[in-house]
Amino acid sequence: MSTAPIAAPAPERPLPTPTRESQPYWDGLREGRFLLQYCSGCGKVRHYPRPVCPHCFSMESTFREAPTGGAIHSWTVCHHPFNFYFKASVPYIVALVDMDAGVRVNAQLRGVAPDSLKIGQRVKLAFEPVNEQVTLPFFVAE
Amino acid sequence: MSHPLREKAAISGIGETAYTRGTPKSGLALQMEASLAAIADAGLSPRDIDGVVPYFPGGGIAEDFVANLGLPDLALSVFVPMGGATCVAAIQTAAMAVATGVCRNVLISVGRTGYSGARVSSRLQQFPQFALTAEHEAPIGLFAPAQLYAQGARRHMELYGTTPRHMAEIAVVTREHAILNGNVVMNKPLTVEEHHASRMISDPFRLFDCSLESDGGAAVVISAADRARDLARPLVTIMGVAEGHPESPAAISQRPDILEFGLTRAAPRAFAMAGVGPKDMDLAEIYDCFTFTVLRQLEILGFCKDGEGGPFVMDGRIRLGGELPINTHGGLLSQGHVVGLNHVIELTRQLRRDAGKAQVKDAELGLVTGYGDLGDGSIAILRRAA
Repeated sequence: MSTAPIAAPAPERPLPTPTRESQPYWDGLREGRFLLQYCSGCGKVRHYPRPVCPHCFSMESTFREAPTGGAIHSWTVCHHPFNFYFKASVPYIVALVDMDAGVRVNAQLRGVAPDSLKIGQRVKLAFEPVNEQVTLPFFVAE
Repeated sequence: MSHPLREKAAISGIGETAYTRGTPKSGLALQMEASLAAIADAGLSPRDIDGVVPYFPGGGIAEDFVANLGLPDLALSVFVPMGGATCVAAIQTAAMAVATGVCRNVLISVGRTGYSGARVSSRLQQFPQFALTAEHEAPIGLFAPAQLYAQGARRHMELYGTTPRHMAEIAVVTREHAILNGNVVMNKPLTVEEHHASRMISDPFRLFDCSLESDGGAAVVISAADRARDLARPLVTIMGVAEGHPESPAAISQRPDILEFGLTRAAPRAFAMAGVGPKDMDLAEIYDCFTFTVLRQLEILGFCKDGEGGPFVMDGRIRLGGELPINTHGGLLSQGHVVGLNHVIELTRQLRRDAGKAQVKDAELGLVTGYGDLGDGSIAILRRAA
């Protein structure tokens, strides 16, 4: 007896599971704002969000809007889709960026040719809503 | 004053399975097969094992060792969750246990079905060490080690002029060594041209810059040095051993220097403990999840300066017969991926002068490193005792 072929389920996009510490960061992205965590004790910024400031050990912090510009620290061009969700988008550039705000962000860099990339190249962060809860960052040329 | 752990412990037994792509055996069965081989190699019975440091997450746990090996009185069960730095870091844990008398013989072991079972990206989902990467980087398409470490390699290329030719040299030499070993997954010669033509995985890493997904098991037994002297094999002692954790250990992206590895902190401690330096090494087994990872560790270890790893590996220097033979068994790039426990086994075999066609003449002192998770590092310096 033959059976109809079963279509493989479409691969799901990996999505963040925010923690109690990181929820304000993700809420900010959803609102189109780049919010970072600043220590209430010593004022230093930290990323990724976490409960204790490693400089002064204060557990008090606030999230404030930060500038979205930055300079490329390094990058990779992903050709092999380790997660099948990304099969349709390879090759894509993931740029590691020294944000003017003093932290780094890793995100896809779009609209720029891989061969032209240089350390120090200016980019800015943009926002891509992927569903009602989650917005992810990406970079474009500044 | 000499370090209290220096030469207090020894590698008394080594064991490994065949390294293959495809096996009907479970990871646990491979781990037990290698463990039994290592215990027999030491001239011990499973009843003599009273400490276990199994690779974790993924593989057998203490309960499995008691149930399978009938351990009569297990006194120590420890995990050292440092990814590829685990196996060498576990030597430090085991050495502390036997030097203090908490244990007599500690078993370090790995069994994995990396080819026939779950592949790397799905295995890493279980690792708490990858939680930040899973939250912030996987959603934008960055999760596999090949992708995460590629940014460091790219930066090294941009800053220092390191080239794919340098990385290819490591792949080609490692393959030559693998062919001499025999118990390897990759047993055909590799050329520089084949390396350059292999498909791009995550730029600058091509397929032949990446370690293997393979099936196999490996194990070593660590015993107190004074007891190991009376066991079956030539005495190989632990002169120096250390683990190190870099800044921002769970997020490479936030590390001030993305080319800092945990080895940056561990290596000076291990050399100081051993009372020797890089120039004293007859050979080195360097954790080779990627070609570039070897190149950078050679710099961190002080075999050359920062940025000079590329030229350093050229001109036969790292080949058998060269100034510093490395990965004389074929490593993770060509022998098999048992998270670097095969590197510990090979160094021990070399110091016993039991390495067959790949034997480094008169090998007396060597080092082995581990590198894993998001940059953790470990190092052991081993010596053939008189």
